[in-house]
Amino acid sequence: MKNRLRVLRAERKWSQAEVAERLGVSRQTVNAVETEKYEPSITLAFKMARLFDTRIEDIFQSDDNSNPER
Amino acid sequence: MDKSPSTSVRDAILGYGSLIVWAMCYLGALVLLRKFQLEGWVRVAVALLPIPPFVLFLSMVLAEIRSLDELWRRIHLEALAIAFPLAVLLLMILGLMELATGLSPNDWSYRHVWIFLPIFYAIGVLVSVRRYK
Repeated sequence: MKNRLRVLRAERKWSQAEVAERLGVSRQTVNAVETEKYEPSITLAFKMARLFDTRIEDIFQSDDNSNPER
Repeated sequence: MDKSPSTSVRDAILGYGSLIVWAMCYLGALVLLRKFQLEGWVRVAVALLPIPPFVLFLSMVLAEIRSLDELWRRIHLEALAIAFPLAVLLLMILGLMELATGLSPNDWSYRHVWIFLPIFYAIGVLVSVRRYK
């Protein structure tokens, strides 16, 4: 799964540590999500969306573009 | 993640304190059981001496794990997933080697083998941390 966390963070000029503190997670977690080595839980994804005042799907994009409803 | 500084210091003192007390009890029990001729029930009591501080240490470790964020909990889960099969492999190989070569239980008894388990866990943590670094 790809994500725009690094871009959104850079737009706000926040450090990884600042984002981590605002989300209540470790800096390693923010780094692992940014580098796409770790996919966050839905709870953390919602927190990220709220923090950046956007929708989850604007931060995370699935590699699989197929529609599961089809 | 949301601990106050005073709570963190208290937890660290309790955690490391219980670890030190446990290690001292374990080493003390080893010395007492090897060097002194103790009565039967006293020997058992001395052998069980490290249990209370270890239970306290375990409760501090669990509290610490519960305070971790989701990535670090996953790292510790993966560490267990690595350490457990390694422990099974070690015990299995030692059992077979005992049959194959007459490996002396005095050289590879419980008191020598347990130390490998936290080492395996530490290896698991290192492997998992590298994966998410």
